[in-house]
Amino acid sequence: MDGSVLLDILSRYVFNIANIQGMLRLATPVVLAGLCALITDRAGILNIAGEGMILLGAWFAVAASYFFGSSMMGLLGGIVAGLVVGALFALFSLKFRAHIIVMGIAINIFADAATIFLTRSVFGVAGGFTDPKIVGFGAIEIPFIKDIPILGELLSGYTFIVYLTWFLVAATALFLYRTPWGFHLRAVGENPEAAETMGINVQRIRFLAVMASGVFAALAGVYLSLGHLQGYVDKMAAGRGFIGMAVNTFGGGAPLGVFLSSLLFGFVDMLGFRLQAERIIPIYFVSMMPYIVTLAALTYFTIRRENARKRAATKKA
Amino acid sequence: MTNAVEMIGIRKVYPGVIANNNVNFSVATGEIHALVGENGAGKSTLMNVLFGLTRPEEGQIFINGKQVHIHKNSDAIALGIGMVHQSFKLVPSFTVTENITLGGEPRKGLLVDRKAAHDNIVEISKRFGLQVDPDARIRDLPVGVQQRVEILKALYHNADILILDEPTAVLTPQETRDLFGVIRSLVAKGKTVIFITHKFNEVMTISDRVTVMRDGKVVETKDTKDTNPTELARMMVGRDVLLRVDKAPANPKDVVLEVQDLEVLDNRNLKAVRGLSLQVRAGEILGIAGVEGNGQRELVEAIVGLRPVYSGKVVMQGKEITHASVRQRRDDGISCVPEDRYVRGVALRATLEDNLIVESYFKEPIGRGMLIDLNQVTEFSQNLIKKFDVRTPSSKVTAGALSGGNMQKVVLARELSLDPTLLIVAQPTRGLDVGSIEFVHRTIIEARDRGAAVLLVSAELEEIMSLSDRINVVYEGRIMGEVSGAEADEESLGLWMAGVGGNAEAAHEASSEHTAETLKG
Ligand SMILES: Nc1ncnc2c1ncn2[C@@H]1O[C@H](COP(=O)(O)OP(=O)(O)OP(=O)(O)O)[C@@H](O)[C@H]1O
Ligand SMILES: [Mg+2]
Repeated sequence: MDGSVLLDILSRYVFNIANIQGMLRLATPVVLAGLCALITDRAGILNIAGEGMILLGAWFAVAASYFFGSSMMGLLGGIVAGLVVGALFALFSLKFRAHIIVMGIAINIFADAATIFLTRSVFGVAGGFTDPKIVGFGAIEIPFIKDIPILGELLSGYTFIVYLTWFLVAATALFLYRTPWGFHLRAVGENPEAAETMGINVQRIRFLAVMASGVFAALAGVYLSLGHLQGYVDKMAAGRGFIGMAVNTFGGGAPLGVFLSSLLFGFVDMLGFRLQAERIIPIYFVSMMPYIVTLAALTYFTIRRENARKRAATKKA
Repeated sequence: MTNAVEMIGIRKVYPGVIANNNVNFSVATGEIHALVGENGAGKSTLMNVLFGLTRPEEGQIFINGKQVHIHKNSDAIALGIGMVHQSFKLVPSFTVTENITLGGEPRKGLLVDRKAAHDNIVEISKRFGLQVDPDARIRDLPVGVQQRVEILKALYHNADILILDEPTAVLTPQETRDLFGVIRSLVAKGKTVIFITHKFNEVMTISDRVTVMRDGKVVETKDTKDTNPTELARMMVGRDVLLRVDKAPANPKDVVLEVQDLEVLDNRNLKAVRGLSLQVRAGEILGIAGVEGNGQRELVEAIVGLRPVYSGKVVMQGKEITHASVRQRRDDGISCVPEDRYVRGVALRATLEDNLIVESYFKEPIGRGMLIDLNQVTEFSQNLIKKFDVRTPSSKVTAGALSGGNMQKVVLARELSLDPTLLIVAQPTRGLDVGSIEFVHRTIIEARDRGAAVLLVSAELEEIMSLSDRINVVYEGRIMGEVSGAEADEESLGLWMAGVGGNAEAAHEASSEHTAETLKG
């Protein structure tokens, strides 16, 4: 096979516009899970409850959308669920001093069981719930931009949550690096005593950070249940809460870093879908791939970055 | 003349201790007021009360003649009180500007007005003559500059009353002189300064008045010109204190520790120790003098096995231990009092008993097979506590609850309980009061007289000169020169410490001669 053929195959089957769109879509819940990890990490809190928060967000979004017949009500339902779990998590771990890891595990287990139980008792079905009365998010075509060749196709035609996510990435960056509260949050994460002696209320900032993380995770859930699918499936978070922690680490705790690292996950996830359609590789292997590739890549790049830093330091000598 | 600060009848109780017992303390406007006292006397507690970090059970506070109620520390900041803590409270990844403005950022709408912040810092730093680079990151700055940032932070928040809690403990002599210049210029601009220290020469140099505390009470406040170090020490400790060290001439025997052409990397993988050689004999104290950060920490860590050796050799009683495990080195008779007692000296959240037995829990009679004999533990600990005069309510309190001096006694007690062949002590009296310093010094000399080889690393020239039988000066990871303790003078040591002059060749030859001797012997 000569090079031009390979290039042709790559551009036709891998790097085409539809695939890039797929990557951006599939990256969205991971970006949101990454922001959930980021905002707590930056406040000095190890939040492993992202997975459970996503599930609850997804479930309540479906329920609200079903009962009120509106996707925006679904979004609201998801956000409220996120705020409530966030508040509970903060209350127990920060105020009552429950162990933060134990508390995180508790929320993940609880969310898993609670959503199964609720699906069964509210909708009377098991395993998942779909219904025509659930209103999901439709694709939005952005006027003018959609008419630009290529760029229009790349930027237009996503659901509301995708755009919201892009906005949140930028807004979080602006918040962290340009607003007083962002400075306070980072100071609390890095040296809480420094913050405290300057009259900053450490406890309150951490509380708010955990609630914000609940909202980010819930939005990831809303995307899964009302943007990606239209309905709830048990365990639909599928590890994205944890992948969020990985992309946050890999992204260096920066919103843009989180966004870019999530694209990697989105890309492999998208390839998986394509391969699944081709039925060449066993489906279990295909659905495992995004996780393996993401973790392997993140590990590889993190090690390389560390080594580069060490080399730079030695060179200075 | 009004008093900038007037604290009346302050009482603060922590579980098991009365940290402040009916304390009256007043500071006149525009003065430099020194506050001295033993470790645990309650100095920091009193200042924490003033700065709103802790609330007293009883007492009244007046600022500039008006009674105030300080509930939290933002109240104190609003009243014009600023505090530079014993351990700095800075955010390492933030810039100087971001640290100084933290909690009081100038705003433009919802955002921080970064230009205003920057200009502001440039302006106050010029006004008070405190030079800093507003855009430098804290983690890249030396301690002396970090401290300047702390002072600027207080000034930025409009502090008129500035509390400095042991500001010189971590500074080099040059940085200390700079700091004193800054303090004088602040007072000249109408600020009031409260200055906590353990060093009497600093009290005499910088302060107008001095207050002495003991056991949570104020002993007396005096005009500095009417007192002297001996009197201050007596008021502080409640007895006469020997400010000089008494010791017999050394009686050196065989070489115990030999370090040859050692190279060690620091945390950033830079060479911190670069081809250093030295040796210590039984029955002598070798002092390593030098400004901190010239490889002393890495040297000590390499000898005790906490840091890998890059090249060169460490030999203990003729046996090479360059790559031996820590446990093996311990078994060979190496003990170490590390420089940072809070991090490596003790486990803060473990009890005194647990801290004291970590080197002997696996040996008879404490360790029995797979179990530990708890009665033996208590007996062993209580013996050491008595012998080393550790002031503590019980052997079962956590180490973190002890004052600095008592914590250091615990470390010494543990390390000496093993009857070491080689005792390494790093910055053994940092932050300690005179009474504790006297005790620590006496203990080190006793270890020497029992025949231990002692390697003393200290940034305090006075300490080095009064304890050492031989002195090596280290600069940028190498030995600049060697003198005997008796011949040392501050002047030439100071020059060597700055990397000027030295007789490294002589020192090196002397040690290779010794090597030849040892090999023959
Ligand atoms: N947060 C705390 N909890 C319990 N006890 C404390 C606390 N802070 C201080 N203490 C105790 O109060 C007493 C006074 O401590 P303080 O720190 O004020 O002494 P200090 O004079 O500043 O000593 P040093 O010279 O070692 O800094 C000590 O016995 C100390 O153990
Ligand atoms: Mg103190």
